[in-house]
Amino acid sequence: MRAFSAVFISYYRQFVRDRGALFFTFIFPIMFILLFGWAFRNEGAQRFDIGLVNQGSPQSTAIITFALDNVTLDSGDKLFRLESGTFDDMMRSLEDGSLDAIIVIPASMDSSLDQEQPSAIEVYYDPTRISNQQILVPILNQVVNGLNQYLQGTTPLITLDEETVQSRELRYIDYLVPGVLGMSLMFSGIYGGLPIIQQRQAHIIKRLGATPLRRSMLIFGDLAFRMILVLLTAALIILVGSLVFDVQMVGNWFSLCGVVVLGSLVFTSLGYLMAAFVKTEEAAIPIINVVAMPMMFLSGTFFEITSMPSFIEPLIKALPLTYLNDALRQIMVDGTPLHSMTTDVAVLAAWVVVCLGITIRFFRWD
Amino acid sequence: MSVSSGKVIEVTDLVKSYGSIKAVDQISFQVSQGEVFGMLGPNGAGKTTTVEIVEGLRSADNGSATVLGIDVARDTRAVKERIGIQPQNPALFPSLTVRETIRFFRSLYRKSVPTSRIVELASLQASRDVLFKNLSGGQQQRLSVSLAFVNDPEIIFLDEPTTGLDPQARRAMWEVIETFRRAGKTVVLTTHYMEEAQRLCDRIAIMDYGKIIALDSPQRLIESNIKESAIQFKMRDYPGDQMLSSLPDVSKVIREDDDVIVYTNNIPSSISGLLGMASQRSTELSELSVRQATLEDVFLKLTGKRIRD
Repeated sequence: MRAFSAVFISYYRQFVRDRGALFFTFIFPIMFILLFGWAFRNEGAQRFDIGLVNQGSPQSTAIITFALDNVTLDSGDKLFRLESGTFDDMMRSLEDGSLDAIIVIPASMDSSLDQEQPSAIEVYYDPTRISNQQILVPILNQVVNGLNQYLQGTTPLITLDEETVQSRELRYIDYLVPGVLGMSLMFSGIYGGLPIIQQRQAHIIKRLGATPLRRSMLIFGDLAFRMILVLLTAALIILVGSLVFDVQMVGNWFSLCGVVVLGSLVFTSLGYLMAAFVKTEEAAIPIINVVAMPMMFLSGTFFEITSMPSFIEPLIKALPLTYLNDALRQIMVDGTPLHSMTTDVAVLAAWVVVCLGITIRFFRWD
Repeated sequence: MSVSSGKVIEVTDLVKSYGSIKAVDQISFQVSQGEVFGMLGPNGAGKTTTVEIVEGLRSADNGSATVLGIDVARDTRAVKERIGIQPQNPALFPSLTVRETIRFFRSLYRKSVPTSRIVELASLQASRDVLFKNLSGGQQQRLSVSLAFVNDPEIIFLDEPTTGLDPQARRAMWEVIETFRRAGKTVVLTTHYMEEAQRLCDRIAIMDYGKIIALDSPQRLIESNIKESAIQFKMRDYPGDQMLSSLPDVSKVIREDDDVIVYTNNIPSSISGLLGMASQRSTELSELSVRQATLEDVFLKLTGKRIRD
């Protein structure tokens, strides 16, 4: 036990003195969340900033405003944030991206309404933004339809109840945070093979072999420290997601810890596997990058991978990070309990068994 | 278990091969308690392999090694608990300080010496909170050697302990080794420095090609192998071994790069012959010296190599 805690403490000290390791463990994932979360803050967020250009009377403005204000999200929040101003001001805001659309209420609207004549409301938006075409325009059409029915005093015979599949609205950031967590588990796990290679290369492991220390203690100490480290990383990522972007962890905390530890084991054993075959630090770093970088993208860390050439599909289906990301998202976003994610857990466990099996067969301490 | 007749290390018919190369070829020797036992040999002679088998770092193909009465192959950890080892190159965690490193090693043993005592031994009081990687080469070496004492061992194995140390630190290290020996403990020393071997070692084993080719006290190794004195010099236009061998009373001629060593039974007659030949051939002799034979000469005679190769 004394030897175990000595190994543990020495790993801890070396870690906190390694600026690179500190950066990649803690700052790097947070940077990703902040950068991507900020850059794509509107992506998938069903909320629109609308500029109203009012050229008509206060009455017609009130009708339009009332109709737009009445469209709410499941959470009860309003879908549209409205501001009004001159056409030129609003246009500038649209061009610099701070508005999603402009609605122009024409001066002719009052007289048209009085005479029960059709009146055109002009909508300006950027058609290259997918959310505008897919969400904004259909909703505005619905709003106008509703308004027409209200003004004509007719009640529609058939209404369409839209049920979203997900119980909560999924924002991009909700998708991103579990992905970044999966990514950081992957990096810290695979890079975890590096100290073993360095210590072997520097003959430190051989030096320790001259003491009564059991070599398995080096592995246990390393694993114990790594598990605490990844749980801390997970806590930090979730905390930042929650404080900065209000990302909620819906599922069970024990399930989450279980998946975090399992995921970390997968990639740590992948790191050990590499240490079994790669002798030098100089050779290891490019290998880590060649393995980790494509996996990061292919496993849907930042974006869902949908339209990949068919020959890549099997590769994606084989990558452990695909299953780790999926499991983390299921827990954090959907609150799925651990026992209903048998595929993810089984695939991840299989990866651990296979990697450790090969490692034990081929690993050499000297 | 009691140690039979004061022998703390007993090696019998040790064999270790790597492929077709016999790194250790049927080696046997014994080391007594309180002895400083030296191992000399050219690189690749099998010294390190032999020592590592005795330390329990490697397993032998054949033969046995017993340390403090314990069969090393059977109870390696019990042996490691009671011996101290300094490997040839300091290999320690780069980002731990001197004191952290010592505490780390202390916690690996049941019995240990206070941290401050090891700091003192290494003369690193002023640098005790400096990270290992920021120590100078000599400081790293001193820490590495001192760590061999951390478990208050009964035997220490030192592999080139003074390499990279300045002369003052080297003498300090000799003091440490001599103090350790005076406490009745045993030292197994591998070194390249003949002066160090001659001063410290009670007995020396000279190894070549996996075998021990000579084993005795430094004085007897010299006396029994070389009765002559040595005349050493550099010479332009080397006249050939035969010419030098024909000088009066010369028994053997060895040439190593520029250096020529002539062994003689009669210094005055050989020297006058040599000087006569040089002036006759009008060639120059430089760095001429006449000395008693040393371990270096024994080594050269037995292995055909200089120790520093």
